[in-house]
Amino acid sequence: MTSQVDELYGYVQERCLWQFASRTWDRNENIEGVIGKAIDILTEKELTLDTPQDRLFYADAKVMVADFRTRFEWINSVGPAQARDLLHSLRDRLIDIAITQSKNRELNHSLY
Amino acid sequence: MPMILLDCDTDIPERQKHVYLKAPGEDTREHLPLSNAATIPGTLSERGCAFCGAKLVIGGVLKDTIQMIHGPLGCAYDTWHTKRYPTDTGHFNMKYVWSTDMKESHIVFGGEKRLEKSINEAFDEMPTIKRMFVYTTCPTALIGDDVKAVAKKVMAERPDVDIFTVECPGFSGVSQSKGHHVLNIGWVNEKVGTVEPEITSPYTMNFIGDFNIQGDTQLLQTYWDRLGIQVIAHFTGNANYDDLRGMHKAQLNVVNCARSTGYIANELKKQYGIPRLDIDSWGFNYMAEGIRKIGTFFGIEDRTEALIAEEYAKWKPELDWFKERLKGKKVAIWTGGPRLWHWTKSLEDDLGVEVVAMSSKFGHEEDFEKVIARGRDGTYYIDDGNELEFFEIIDLVKPDVIFTGPRVGELVKKLHIPYVNGHGYHNGPYMGFEGFVNLARDMYNAAFNPLTKLAGIDIRGDKQIAVKEAAE
Repeated sequence: MTSQVDELYGYVQERCLWQFASRTWDRNENIEGVIGKAIDILTEKELTLDTPQDRLFYADAKVMVADFRTRFEWINSVGPAQARDLLHSLRDRLIDIAITQSKNRELNHSLY
Repeated sequence: MPMILLDCDTDIPERQKHVYLKAPGEDTREHLPLSNAATIPGTLSERGCAFCGAKLVIGGVLKDTIQMIHGPLGCAYDTWHTKRYPTDTGHFNMKYVWSTDMKESHIVFGGEKRLEKSINEAFDEMPTIKRMFVYTTCPTALIGDDVKAVAKKVMAERPDVDIFTVECPGFSGVSQSKGHHVLNIGWVNEKVGTVEPEITSPYTMNFIGDFNIQGDTQLLQTYWDRLGIQVIAHFTGNANYDDLRGMHKAQLNVVNCARSTGYIANELKKQYGIPRLDIDSWGFNYMAEGIRKIGTFFGIEDRTEALIAEEYAKWKPELDWFKERLKGKKVAIWTGGPRLWHWTKSLEDDLGVEVVAMSSKFGHEEDFEKVIARGRDGTYYIDDGNELEFFEIIDLVKPDVIFTGPRVGELVKKLHIPYVNGHGYHNGPYMGFEGFVNLARDMYNAAFNPLTKLAGIDIRGDKQIAVKEAAE
């Protein structure tokens, strides 16, 4: 599983601007939001698109999952429980690099 | 690999915190160049000032607005015509420059009366123009001129005009980045919400951080028109002052230049609940991805897929022609900040080149997180690079083409290395599908121009007289 998470993590680091929002709370919201929607797509769960922010998380997640399916064919054969585990591991690694261990000194400013 | 102390920086070892050479397996948890920090004494910085960041980058783009610069003449002249942001109404913003032309006596006795007179003169001379930005500069900020009070007085006397004041004198920050910040926050707090725009489409957005460099905004606008999306405001490419007062009505904020305009996108999300979508507008793959996300947000995926297919059919063969010829060329990107991360992968993926060195004038640590995540191992990542560092880096990485501004560009031309204007472009637009083909063409012309090398040959041979530098 580690090598699979490595592949997903490498893709997100290289492609996804939403992980690098301006402040800790924005990064956290984006990572949780996009990964949450990606899990819904991969597990074929009914999507909740009630708010504009939900729709945006979905838009980011849809492109990411489509790329996952093209680049990493193994993801097309994982079951819902494994997909959830993989993406939770991905989320944890993104939080680690973009928030917890980030050296960015502006992340916790109270103002933009 | 730790942070690097270049040979030329031996006497200013603090520079080591700003220069990073990425090694395999490393990431930004271990090393991140210190940035948005004060320039170190002894280094010859290429940075601009805070006032320049507000006026030259953002405010001066507007097509219907007088840019009144309250200061000595040079502050106005030096931030005029150094970037090409045309408009669809006759390039008013590029034809004229305005200044209160402060002299010694005004500094001694105060400049508020002179500012009031200048504002009235400008409106009288240009009676069809009813909107103005007023900027303080270093001297007028130091003497404490109250520009807001003057603007308020003029607006009371001339009810048909509206004036926005930008108080970020050159010294107020470490680089032009401070000016971006001050203008963003001032605008959202003082002007957004003061005009209700006419809504003409069920799909509305703001496009934030496009400055219509050589027509970028106008090119992308053809996409939004074809998709039926109403752009309420471009911040600030080809935009009217009042467009920007209605930004609160958009359903989505699409952000290109996150460094110069991320602040207003964040505030629009906080104050008005408008979500922020960051995209890359340079490069085929990135542009298509951004358009797809916008299409998904609005539920118009069929339209966006059709547009992407049309654009690919039209422009991809031309891009591939250049890619075939540019493959393997080594490139350096020495620009402001965001173009490092916007361009490194799009140049590599779409044009087959290798980006071997990148330097940012005013990027923050967020920008370096983005670019190091995207950039190659073995590439140099530099904050606030200085001239001697550029020389040393050129020796280390031997780039075939350098994307940079005209100032550094003139320097590298003397070394007979071609440069492409990474700020104002050579022959843009560079955004969008057609735009990236333009960029590829300019890069091809730079890399294969025989004159670059020929100009280095001195036909006088041994007869030439060697000029000694003063330090020799």
